[in-house]
Amino acid sequence: MLKVKNVEKTFGDNQVLRGVDMEVEKGDIVVILGPSGSGKTTFLRCLNFLERADGGAMDFDDIHTELKDASREIISRVRKKTAFVFQNYNLFQNKTALQNVMEGLTVARKVPKAEALARAKAALDKVGLSERYDYYPSQLSGGQQQRVGIARAIAVDPDVLLFDEPTSALDPELIGEVLAVMKKLAKEGATMIIVTHEMTFAQEVANKVIFMDGGVIVEQGSAEQIFTSPKEERTIQFLRRVLKDYDYVI
Amino acid sequence: MQLNTQFMWETFLAVLKGVPVTLAIVAVTLLVSAPAGFLMAVKKAGEGRIGRRIITVYVSLIRGTPVVLQILFLYSLLPTALNYLIKEVMGLSYNIFNVNPIFYAYVVFILNTTAVLAEVFRSALSTVSKGQMEAALAIGMSKPQAYVRIILPQALVAALPNICNATVNLLKSTSLAFMMTVRDITAIAKIEASFGYNYLEAYLVIFVVYIILCSAVQGAFHLTEQGVAAYKKPVAP
Repeated sequence: MLKVKNVEKTFGDNQVLRGVDMEVEKGDIVVILGPSGSGKTTFLRCLNFLERADGGAMDFDDIHTELKDASREIISRVRKKTAFVFQNYNLFQNKTALQNVMEGLTVARKVPKAEALARAKAALDKVGLSERYDYYPSQLSGGQQQRVGIARAIAVDPDVLLFDEPTSALDPELIGEVLAVMKKLAKEGATMIIVTHEMTFAQEVANKVIFMDGGVIVEQGSAEQIFTSPKEERTIQFLRRVLKDYDYVI
Repeated sequence: MQLNTQFMWETFLAVLKGVPVTLAIVAVTLLVSAPAGFLMAVKKAGEGRIGRRIITVYVSLIRGTPVVLQILFLYSLLPTALNYLIKEVMGLSYNIFNVNPIFYAYVVFILNTTAVLAEVFRSALSTVSKGQMEAALAIGMSKPQAYVRIILPQALVAALPNICNATVNLLKSTSLAFMMTVRDITAIAKIEASFGYNYLEAYLVIFVVYIILCSAVQGAFHLTEQGVAAYKKPVAP
């Protein structure tokens, strides 16, 4: 469904991505792991053109484009087929939870207001925020804000959901509620690409794990394969650092 | 020394006729300058190097010169230049010197206030986090949609106190319009006073008139500020 090849990105004289390939099928849960600075967030942002890649190609259903010179129209189409969940939530501060979720429907997709309202409410209900329709982001906890962020993403019914470290900005006790929502989505068959540091979560939901370091994919495979029998030394080192009980897993 | 209260009352009634003129200058200026200043601020934050350069030069040119000088300069230049343009270049017989001088006042104050508001909006836009634009784009909005629906309403909260300031300053500097023979509050007061040399009384009257107008502007902005900042209320509904 979504295939990118040889994605490259340079900031100044720092080459962040050195040719990354990825293939995602419908229903895939792809988790991208890697130390900070490995380029995983940049890679995710290149997928919906929040960052303009310097090289690489994309095949996304009937869209075929070079990333570097994708037209405004192509970018708009890709963005309407995807939805992005940010590390810092990035909820529209001047809109209520319900308006945040409706915005992508009524404004970007011209969905009639009544239908948008119903879909937005359904999305908020799904993430367990039926009591918080009319709250502004500043009146919500971090976990609640991120759940609104997820509701905003799923309401537009995207082909692919992109998650950029969705729990990294949260207090430890709030991480659970967000992961629970994401697990629910995974179970319902959503296609998701997730950059995360939550190893247990990755092990549990991912059917494909990509380990990135230094702007390249070091190793990829099934969750089982990566977590229990990684081949590359760098993957083993990384997992040892982030998984306290890694030795027991092996 | 005794104040001529009868004269003051008559002057007050007379200058009331100047209030709509003053307010018209303020309103027209703001209607043009606010969107123009906002667009300039957006352009200045954007990528076009030439556009940015032009705006920087324009803003420093306007802000680096006294309003009085701008008035004197444009009021000397514009009618002559327009006259030349109409008569010599376009070959029309329209007499530009019959134009209501208020149009020159519009031009001067629009040029001036646009520069001020461009700076106001530039700093206000920088208070809105970059993530807001990214989130809007990611959800499929176009840039103009994102600006109108997400960025501008938030920037306004930071900008309003400064826009209020700019408006009050504008209202006060419209008193210079008399230099272009516009019959605004100040001009009328001067004319009334000149008949019997009652300058002190006349100025006292418009002193009060300006205070009332400026207070009204500040009050209006105060109410607007509360309205646009509603989403910052810490208390849940």
